[in-house]
Formats: sequence, C-alpha cells, structure tokens
Amino acid sequence: MLSTSARSDRSDPPGTIRVWHYDGVNGLRRAPVLVVDGDRFTLAENGASDGPYAFADLLARDAVAGETVFGLKGRTGWRIGFPEGVPDVLKPLLPKPTRYGGFIDRIGLWPAAAGSAVIAAIVVVIVLNSPSVLARAVPPSVERQLGDLMTGDFGDRSCAGPNGPQALSALVERVDPGDGDIDVRVVNLPVVNAVTLPGGHIVLFDGLIRKAVSPDEVAGVLAHEIGHVKHRDVMESLLRQLGLSVLLGGLDGHVGGYTNALLASAYSRDAEARADDYAMTAMQKAAVTPLPTAQFFTRLSKGEDAKGVGRLTAYFASHPMSHDRAAKFLASAKTHKGDRPALDADQWASLKGICKTDPEAQKKPSFRF
Amino acid sequence: MPYDSRDDKAFAFDGDWREFAPIALTNLLLCVVTLGVYLFWARTRERRYLWSRTRFIDDRLEWTGTGLELFIGYVFALVLFAIPFSLINFIALNGAMMRGHEGLAALIGFVMYLFLISLTGVAIFRALRYRLSRTLWHGIRGGSDAFGLAFGFSYLWKTVLGSFALGLLIPWSMTSLWNERWGRMSFGPHRFHAEARAGSIFLKFLLFYLAPIIAFFVIAILFAIFGVFAAMLGGFPQGGSEGGGAPPEGFMVILFAIGAAAYLLFFVVLGVVALVYYSAYFSEAVGKLTLGELQFAFTATTKDWIRLFLGNFLLVICTLGVGQVFVGYRNWTFFIRHMHAYGEMNLDTLTQSTTREPGQGEGLLDAFDIGAI
Repeated sequence: MLSTSARSDRSDPPGTIRVWHYDGVNGLRRAPVLVVDGDRFTLAENGASDGPYAFADLLARDAVAGETVFGLKGRTGWRIGFPEGVPDVLKPLLPKPTRYGGFIDRIGLWPAAAGSAVIAAIVVVIVLNSPSVLARAVPPSVERQLGDLMTGDFGDRSCAGPNGPQALSALVERVDPGDGDIDVRVVNLPVVNAVTLPGGHIVLFDGLIRKAVSPDEVAGVLAHEIGHVKHRDVMESLLRQLGLSVLLGGLDGHVGGYTNALLASAYSRDAEARADDYAMTAMQKAAVTPLPTAQFFTRLSKGEDAKGVGRLTAYFASHPMSHDRAAKFLASAKTHKGDRPALDADQWASLKGICKTDPEAQKKPSFRF
Repeated sequence: MPYDSRDDKAFAFDGDWREFAPIALTNLLLCVVTLGVYLFWARTRERRYLWSRTRFIDDRLEWTGTGLELFIGYVFALVLFAIPFSLINFIALNGAMMRGHEGLAALIGFVMYLFLISLTGVAIFRALRYRLSRTLWHGIRGGSDAFGLAFGFSYLWKTVLGSFALGLLIPWSMTSLWNERWGRMSFGPHRFHAEARAGSIFLKFLLFYLAPIIAFFVIAILFAIFGVFAAMLGGFPQGGSEGGGAPPEGFMVILFAIGAAAYLLFFVVLGVVALVYYSAYFSEAVGKLTLGELQFAFTATTKDWIRLFLGNFLLVICTLGVGQVFVGYRNWTFFIRHMHAYGEMNLDTLTQSTTREPGQGEGLLDAFDIGAI
C-alpha cells in the first residue's frame, strides 16, 4: 500500500515541508518534501527534484478534514496537500480558497446578498414595466410585418359572404371612425370569442357573430378589441412574456411557470380592464348602447362563482370576472343619450350570414401544405 | 499498486448533513436574491462538498467544475437552441396554423419534436461526459472523445423504436442506450464497458406495464360493488321524513371519497411499480458496468428506492419546499451507500485522461429542464 500520511518522526531539513502530491500524469500518490526558495518552490523526493514552481501559480482547492489542498494553473490533476495544515511562514504566499465564488467572497455573504436583492428587485421592476414603454417604441410597420408573418391571409377561412364585408366595415367605421389601420375579419370557426393579433389584425370568430343577439353586442366586443390595438397590448404582452421567460428561466420549471403565469395574467387583467374602458368610451361617442354587451357578460358570468373559489382562481385568470365587467358596462349605459342601432336590419343580416353565405368559407377545412 | 476492495466497501461517504446545511441554506439564499442566476454556482458548491466527502478505495473524489462554465453552457444552449426553438414555434407554427396550413404546421411540429428528442440525447451524453471530466480521483479525470451527436441520433431512433410494439421495447431502448453512452466514456486510460441486458428486467417492466390496466379493472369493480350496495340501501330512506328524490349527502361523500382514494391509489401503485422496474433496471445497468479490472454493483432494493423518494417527498412537503435543498444530498448519499466496486485498479497504469476537456457544462440539460440521475 502507498503511504497516505506524512511521517513526522523523520527529521526534515529546515525550510522544507512534507506534502503529499499527485502530478496529474499518473495516479501514484507521492510524498515529497516541498523546498521553499523565495516565491518559488521545488518538490524533492528520493534525490530527484521537480520544479521550480511559483507560489503565485497555485490555486486553492477546498480543504477536506483539515488538509489544505492546492492545484497548479494549467495542470489538470496536479495537487499538493498539507496533511498537517499550512505552516505559518507559507500562509502569506498561498492563495485563499473560494467559498461562495467570485465577488461574494470579496465583499462578504451578507453584503453580497443584500446588494443582489436590490439589483434583483430593480431587474424585476424593469422587466415588468418596460414592455409597455418598449411596445409603444416598436414602429407600427414592424408590428404589422410581425402580424403578417404570423397570420398571413388566414388561409381561406376569412369569410366574405354577399355584403358581409361592407356591413363589417360599417360597424368598424361606426365604433372607430376614420381609422384605416385596423383590419377586421370574420373567421369561420364556431368559437364564441375574438382575438387581437400583432399589427392591428382583429379576428372575430363566426361563433360569436351567430350567438350575438344584436349588432350592438358585436360592436361592444369589437370596440374592446380595438382598445387592445390602440394600447399596443399584444406587442406589450409578447415582450413581457419574452422577458419573464428569460428572467424566470433560472428557476425550477414549476416555480418559474407558476410565477410567470401569475405575473403575466395580472398584467393581462389590467390590459383587459383598459380595453373595456376604451370600449365604453368609444361606444358612448358612437351612440351605441352598451346594454347588450353587459348582457353578454352576464350570460358568460353564469358559469363562474363570484365569491368563493372563483374569486381565488381569478388571480390566475387572464380576464377580469365577467360579473364585474357586466356591472361596469351596465353602469356606463346611464351616461348614454340618443343611442342608435350599430347597424340597420339589412346590414345586420349580411353580417350574420357573412360565413354561412360564403361558399368558399363553407368548404370543409382541407389539410393543406 | 493493485487495490482489492473485495473485503472493504469501495465507496464510502463520510459527510454529515449538519456540515452540509450551511452550504445548502446559503445557496438557497443566494439563488433567491439573484433570481436563480446563482444556481450554477450553488450546484458547483454542492458537488464540491459531496465529492470531497466521498471516498473511493483509498482516496477522496474531487469536483473540479466551476459555476461559471455551467452558466456559460446554459447561456449557449439558450441562445443556440431554446430561443430559436421558441421563435420557430411562435412564428412558423402559429403562422402556418393561422394560414390554415395544418399539414405544414403538423410537419414543422413533428420535425421539431424529433429534433428535440435527439437534442435530449445529446444533452444526456454531454452532461455525463462533463461530469466525468470534472471528477478527479488520484489526480486523474475521466471524459469522452465523442461529442454526443452520434448518441443523439441513437437516442432518437431507439426512443422511437422503443415506443413501438406498444412500448414493450422500452427496456431494450433504456439498456442499449445506457450501454452505448457508457461505452463511449473513460476514466484515465481505461474505457468503460457496459453490457446491460433487457431480458433480465423485462418481467418487472411487464408488471409496470400491466399495473394500470389491472388497477383500472379493480377500481371499476369497486365502483360496481358500491353501486349495487348503494342501490340496496337506497330503498330505506324513502320511508323517512325527507322522502325520496335526491340521493342523501352521505352517499355523495362516500362516492367522492372512494373516487379520491381510487385516484390516489392508482398513482401510488403506479409509482411503486415504476420503482420496482427502475430499481431492477438500475441494478442491471450498473451491475454490467466495468472499468478496466473494476466491476461495479448497485444493491439498492425497491424498498430502498421507495424510502428515498418518500423521504424526499416528505422532506420537501414538511418544510414547505425549503427541504428541496437537501434532496441532492440525499440522492448522492443514497447512490454512494448502495454503490459497490470489486476488482483491481493499478495506479501505475492509471495515467491521465487524454480526452478533450469540454469547455462548458450541462447547458443543454438545463435549458430543456431535463432532470438527471
């Protein structure tokens, strides 16, 4: 067996220190003496001498069981260890081991932790708040290109039944007069919803139009989506999502995911509330009654529990509670005077049938490439 | 000189959780205040401790990796793969869907999925290679000359093939992938050899495979029995003051309780059976691994594995998540406790590894959030 402990009974000459040593070339554990020569040293064993090496090239490794260990720059596996601790004369020449790493060792654990916490707080605030500023800084043309890239022409799903597009334009013109930048389409999907995509593209799904009781109800939804376009909400949420996923990427998958969902949905609820406010103002200007929109939300709210669990899970929801939204639209009706229908009966009929009467859109969706 | 560890246990751990606690807790603190950036340094500190308290034959292991290289690896993987992937997913996939090109979208999704599987293989290979290259024993390190691309391809086709035949080839794909990646690894001048066989663990896999089906039938029978029982009892309350109509609340509670119990039982049983298989797989895999004249063995029983997982679970739950910082410690000590080696290691011929040292860490593994054991 190889000796693994230095023998203290042997008297070494002064200026020499017994160490154990791996040269990193083979696995033999050697027991040379370290001979100090100013800021350099050699390792002597059985009459042979290895070195000289500079103390400055040593790298501190972790001390294990009282043994201090050093490596050498650029030499994998090269180690010397001081089984009886480092003699006092050598201490000033040897590097200190790292503990936490980098700057934390220089300034201490608690100052580093406090400093990092402050920086972290600033980063979080920036990441959460800059998207609203950045989104407005993105030129509309760039956003439009992104939108075109994502949506294209919606394949052949965009409906254009007789007089349908004209009725739709009339509705857009009514709630958002004189704005040529907004592109509204009806897509033949049986979904009771509407979405805003980057670049001012608004998609109303046919399911929503068919379920709507009056053109005023569609006008309310449309005004809400236009609110998103005006506030650049889609761009903002894209940027925020990007920021959050990079920021929270370091966290454990689940923790990061939940935090992300919680933060993102909080901002989303704000954006929805703002879009609602925009819609109410726009409808008042256009003299379109908000009551059908309020009823629409009342219908939606049937499925939710406004007090118990519903309130709690609302923190994870992307939209405010339908119950509250209905109440707001209802209240805004009080300020309205002389409301007129958003579309006349013919226009409304054309809009209702925009997909049904479009032979192109009625084709079964094909599996296209 | 030859070492023979037939009498002594070759692997031993002499650390102590109280000694580890300051490391774990300061790691947690620093990870929180740096929004997780410290994670890479934390992992390095943890490994430095665990490795240094692990003795193999006559000397301790040493972890030589750094937090910085792990961090750089992560950033690389994020920039090279994770971000382009999200963009492709976001723009190309969405765009194709929105244009009504479901076929194209499905094709893009499918190709991306295949690419992701191979990348997972590359990540697993490179993480193992990195860990061996940063592990020092007697001043000698391990490593591999392969980059892991070939393994990524094998991982793809073996995983796909493994899921054929209703998943019955999974034991084969697991063992053959184990053999393939360890066969490319070395320590010092010696190459690892792995000859794990699927045959010996196939019966246990079959148990795992059939458990959900059996559990489903047992639960269905339980419900049927309860249904008959409830129908029989249902005759009685009608004479009472409330009269018939809606089922009494008690029944609903019992029904709900049975449902919940069945649900829990299903996952507990499945988890336990999965461990029966996994412990057999791991014993087979390690047991057929050799390095030069050394043979390895892993002796944890299914009961040991269950204790490990249950312990980790309770540790995390009872400390409201803080105990998570000790899970790595528990896993490592479990591993070392049950790890054995037999045979000889000649130190004269144990020369330094000539494999290329990888520049950075387990970035791919981190970027895709793949756990590793």
